[in-house]
Amino acid sequence: MSTTNLQPSEPERSQRKWIKPAVLGGLVVILALLPVFISSPYMLHILILTFTYTIAAVSLRTIVTSGQFPLAHAAFMGIGAYLAGMASRSLNWSPWLTIPSAALVTMGIGMLTGYPFARLRALYYAMGSLFFGIGVVYIIQAGGAWTGGYSGLYGIQPMFGGSKMAYYYFFLGLALVSIIALYRFEFSRIGTNLKAIAQSHLVASSVGINEGWYRILAVGVGCFFAGLAGAGYAHYNMVLSPTSFNFMATLWLVMYVLIGGIGSIAGPIIGTFILILIPEYFRDLKIYSPFISAAILLIVVYLMPQGLVSLPQTVRSWYLKRRKGKGIAHAS
Amino acid sequence: MELAVTTVVNGLILSSMYILAALGFAFLFNMLRILNFAHGAIYMIGGYICYLFIIGMGFNNWVALVLATLIVAAFGVFLERFCFRPFVGDFNRIVMICVAIIMILQTTVTIIIGDRRMALPPFAEGVLKAGPISVSYERIVTFTIGAVLLVVILWFVNRTKWGQQMQAIAQDRIGAALQGIDIHRISSIAFALGCALAAVAGCLMGAYLRLSPYMGDSMLVKVLIIVMLAGAGSLGGIFITGLILGTLYAALPVLLPGAPSDAVIIAVIVVLLLIRPMGFFGYEVEI
Repeated sequence: MSTTNLQPSEPERSQRKWIKPAVLGGLVVILALLPVFISSPYMLHILILTFTYTIAAVSLRTIVTSGQFPLAHAAFMGIGAYLAGMASRSLNWSPWLTIPSAALVTMGIGMLTGYPFARLRALYYAMGSLFFGIGVVYIIQAGGAWTGGYSGLYGIQPMFGGSKMAYYYFFLGLALVSIIALYRFEFSRIGTNLKAIAQSHLVASSVGINEGWYRILAVGVGCFFAGLAGAGYAHYNMVLSPTSFNFMATLWLVMYVLIGGIGSIAGPIIGTFILILIPEYFRDLKIYSPFISAAILLIVVYLMPQGLVSLPQTVRSWYLKRRKGKGIAHAS
Repeated sequence: MELAVTTVVNGLILSSMYILAALGFAFLFNMLRILNFAHGAIYMIGGYICYLFIIGMGFNNWVALVLATLIVAAFGVFLERFCFRPFVGDFNRIVMICVAIIMILQTTVTIIIGDRRMALPPFAEGVLKAGPISVSYERIVTFTIGAVLLVVILWFVNRTKWGQQMQAIAQDRIGAALQGIDIHRISSIAFALGCALAAVAGCLMGAYLRLSPYMGDSMLVKVLIIVMLAGAGSLGGIFITGLILGTLYAALPVLLPGAPSDAVIIAVIVVLLLIRPMGFFGYEVEI
């Protein structure tokens, strides 16, 4: 936070209040109009994947706001994806039925398994969820004829007759709805309770917040959207492979969240877009392209510990430091 | 009966492999309270550097092993100074920097050497036959080196000055500094040792399992299991948990085919961790 004499005066602040929603609205309009200008199906495919992972990343961050750091998020995407895929293939359900049902069941599984994990703290919760996520992949691989085992699940119904543009708008809409829902969740009473637990679970308990129940709820909500993203992915890709939901996938989701910044909802969104789109731009480097992602990671780790979302703040404090001289103390 | 004996022997061999690989990681976790996720990548780099010395320059296996270990130890000092020291205590950033290190190492190896799997020449030829069991000398060598290193590390941590200084840092960083312990120097030594252990494991394992840029990933999971089950504050505990894991990995595939046995093993591990999250031989730590 900057010192008080650097805050803009009151009338200035309320004048600037419309900037944020305007920028957001502008971005949404740009994204909505993109398919008109981009005709390459490959670019649309990348953007669709970006939207899917954004849903998963934002829901991961929601769980993190309650003080837990789950390392099994991609596994829950996998659970949602395989549930939707199996229901679509064996029971012939329509995608509009499988996707919500898969999300709900994933939420149930998340809450059920969250129950024994809720008493683990910090590092031990992370490790426990890590092994749980790995176990889920093994279970999928051991599924034999039900899940297609190692070779994957085929034959999932497509939506909209396979039209990439229709998929694009579907996923854009899904992402927007999820982000708005998670934003409202975070700033609701429940979300505030979660943040209280994250800051100090002892004080929160002393005020009457039932820590265990809220932690399970946070995991449930996060898993709902992870399952939603996974189920949507299943109906888009029409083929599922267990290795797309392994620990590396979870680690990438964690990277999207950490690079973008845990502090706000915009963090994982920015992180996902940057970590997917920038390496795509450098795709021509082929085997050298992981260096680009590593470079992004290194830049953020060393220069912007709060994540990319803090970039305006970092730039502003650097600029102010240069203007006013080095004598001013900044708490940022 | 013969199956049982073979399984027991297999279990011992697998255990020794996992313990050897876990030594470096457990050492860093206990001494510096750092979860070095890049351990798998360093293990892999150790194997590849050894490969370059043996195949590229024609050195003897053992000479190459020693050289690779020294190089990786130096690399470990570099890592400590620039990648881990600035972020002590910040788990998020350590995870990020470890992922970056893994990506850089894996990509470098893929570019220079290529993606196909290749093997190191064995460290010891021949097979030992004792009754119904036959074990290759290679694995006996691995087992012996693993056991010796474990004993050496335990002696180092408990009996030498440096080891005791590391324990002091692990218990209370600031208190140790107040006692006059040079935290930076001891951290560098610890990192050099931890990475050296990873390199030794990588070289030996590279001869036994093929070398691949991604060999560190699967080994890291097993290492994490061993170290988490043992808990912080107990280096000797990884001996027991390593035995447990090795036995599970040897025994279960006999009863169940491939993938379900993996699932059952992980299920057992998860249940054990839920019963006692801080590990069976350790205490609870904040990192």
